[in-house]
Amino acid sequence: MIAARPAEADAAAPSGTARASARDVVLRAEDVRKTFRLGFFRKRVEAVRGVSFTVERGEIFGFLGPNGAGKTTTLKMLMGLIFPTSGRVEALGRAVPDRAAKRRIGYLPETPYFYEYLTPEEFLDFAGALCDVPAAARRRRADQLLGRVGLDHARGRPLRKFSKGMLQRIGIAQALMGDPDVVVLDEPMTGLDPLGRKDVRDLILELGREGKTVLYSTHILPDVEMTCDRVAIVVGGRLRSVGRLASLLSARVLSTEIVLRPAPARPGLPAGARRLPGEGDVALELPAGADVDAFLRAAQAGGAGIVSVTPRRESLEDLFVREAQEKRE
Amino acid sequence: MRRIAAVARNTFREAARNKILYSLLFFALALIASALALGQLSVHEERRMIRDVGLFGVDVFSVLIAIFVGVNLLYKELALKTVYTILPKPIARWEFVLGKWLGVMATLVAQIVVMGVAVAVTSWFESGSEAVDAALVKALWLLLMNVTIVTSVAMLFSSFSSPFLSGLFSLGVFVVGRSVPDVRVLAERVGGAPGRVLSAGCAVLPNLHLFTPSGSAIAGQHITVHAGPFVGASYLAWTSLYAIGYSTVVLGLAMLIFRRRDFV
Repeated sequence: MIAARPAEADAAAPSGTARASARDVVLRAEDVRKTFRLGFFRKRVEAVRGVSFTVERGEIFGFLGPNGAGKTTTLKMLMGLIFPTSGRVEALGRAVPDRAAKRRIGYLPETPYFYEYLTPEEFLDFAGALCDVPAAARRRRADQLLGRVGLDHARGRPLRKFSKGMLQRIGIAQALMGDPDVVVLDEPMTGLDPLGRKDVRDLILELGREGKTVLYSTHILPDVEMTCDRVAIVVGGRLRSVGRLASLLSARVLSTEIVLRPAPARPGLPAGARRLPGEGDVALELPAGADVDAFLRAAQAGGAGIVSVTPRRESLEDLFVREAQEKRE
Repeated sequence: MRRIAAVARNTFREAARNKILYSLLFFALALIASALALGQLSVHEERRMIRDVGLFGVDVFSVLIAIFVGVNLLYKELALKTVYTILPKPIARWEFVLGKWLGVMATLVAQIVVMGVAVAVTSWFESGSEAVDAALVKALWLLLMNVTIVTSVAMLFSSFSSPFLSGLFSLGVFVVGRSVPDVRVLAERVGGAPGRVLSAGCAVLPNLHLFTPSGSAIAGQHITVHAGPFVGASYLAWTSLYAIGYSTVVLGLAMLIFRRRDFV
């Protein structure tokens, strides 16, 4: 039995199912559930409760959710590390686990651990051999990837001496050793500094430009807004929303931010408006439905100059919080 | 084959960079070398003493190394979560287990060769070149077959238990396995249900006594590693088959357990 899936929010296609059949689906989860039995009394813990979604060829797909939402468990089921209690997971049209499909998928686990006694070159050579890459090609690819992830300088250093960011980079490099069509990254930005995060974000975009499909999980929302074609939001083991960001986010203006310089002589604020903290310029937030034009005219008449007017629409963070709160209620 | 070889090579590399294994090897070599001093204390039995102490060192330390490496093998992969990076690659879980086992076996072969050479050099130093004979090589081969089984058993326990418990169980299997002929005699004497339990235990547990036959009677003949041809080719062949067969079954069980595991 297929669980009712959240509506696929995409203006280009009427429903998720129609989209999936019309386009090339590379990863599919269908009513996937996972229940763990924990502790001495084998207490049931439902980590994933009927998640269904598809990832299509060539897209960058963000898998979002708060901590403990079931993201990693779902990704591990797609990678064949965990067996679903029920439901079906497919990779490249084959039931997971399938060796031919695995050959075309690269995976970075969450907080990756590697063989610390190996050097990056040895580790990438090992990863390449597991992907059936011939020895000469392994050396060439390891060279390229070490440069690509910025670890050229550390190629002879054992992994035990790597920082968290460097480990994340070598983790991404090992995921790419088999030159996969699909790249699955579990929390690739976790623990990275802003520069490291930007590098990983750029790498994801680069992979997308190369035509690779990228599925990555995260709870760092600005990164998702900058990189993803589509997102799925999972909360409490259930899929809450899936679709294109533009379609998921409400187009309604939530408020309008106005910056004035100098301040008007008589600052008559509409009901519900508030002054935002700050020095120098006067920053105001007008609530939804306020007559912004009338306020601006009055402000100009009072001698104010208008620096900026920014309508604030629903952000991914608003949506994320809304979904998480709805679940709690 | 490339994937299995890659895992085996990596396992061997891990062992080769493990300082604890070098410490064990150092103690083994020290024990073997001490046989020279012990030989001096015995009267006209230098050659026998050196061979006994040397082979004892190889036996004990190869088993210790097999258990130490074997019980940590799969457990460490799970505890350190390195398995999360490996298994999503196009490698079957059974290939991974087999690769790990082959890697440990390569380590043990290297260790036994080093220790065997040490025994040979010590014997040669004390008694000349005739002290290094086929019997010594055969005894080393049997000890290698012995650790083949011990490693597989340790790996089986390691697939579902902690290293401490796995080590304890493996050591138990080794001790009882070495005493199988004595346990059989005990089972006959005790009789009844306890005797049947002991007999069943002997049937299930590996008969590791087969790999230290010196001093036993085989086919009505008393054999010793110190004189004569020791054991014949047929004995070596069937005990090797027994070791490989037993290891295959035990390793198969480890693969079955590993096959259905969730890596949470």
